[in-house]
Amino acid sequence: MGFKDKLKNPYIIALPTLIVPGLSHYLLGKKIRALIFFCVIMLTFFFGLLLNGGIFSLTHGNWLYRLGALAELGLGVPYLVSLIAGINKPTLELISSLMFGYGSTFLITAGLMNMLLMMDAFDIAIGRKVYI
Amino acid sequence: MLNDNFLTLILFSLLVAIFFATFYRANFKSGLKSFLKTFLYMVAGSLIFAYFMFWTGK
Repeated sequence: MGFKDKLKNPYIIALPTLIVPGLSHYLLGKKIRALIFFCVIMLTFFFGLLLNGGIFSLTHGNWLYRLGALAELGLGVPYLVSLIAGINKPTLELISSLMFGYGSTFLITAGLMNMLLMMDAFDIAIGRKVYI
Repeated sequence: MLNDNFLTLILFSLLVAIFFATFYRANFKSGLKSFLKTFLYMVAGSLIFAYFMFWTGK
């Protein structure tokens, strides 16, 4: 089974989005759409970091933060890199910053949008969604 | 850095509206229409909600 055959599997084609947002759409031939998705999601992610949004961990004591971490996990690699590097770890100083809530909203939204992209790639691969 | 509430609202609405216009629409014209609608509804809705909070908080 070659690489191209593996990409025809809808369960596999949804996964590249976790590495680079929009990569699944690019591999499905939706190149311009993929570029727009990549730019929008990465911009949302970077503005979230700039606005002091928190990169939440799934092991955090607060259940609301764990819920936020689930949404941010949808970003895949960018989230994991930030988590491991300790960028915007929700410390008391970060939480008390003025824009923490807004920034976290940006990051959570970026994660959820990326999850939507995964489902969209799956739908395109099985032929449920057709762009006319 | 960015610490203006209104600017943040505009930025967020812009990004989300572009995403959903690209996500749901097939051609440029209907995408543009969808983008403008989503963007304006998000900004106007948030401002109405903010004014309502301001009004009830008095």
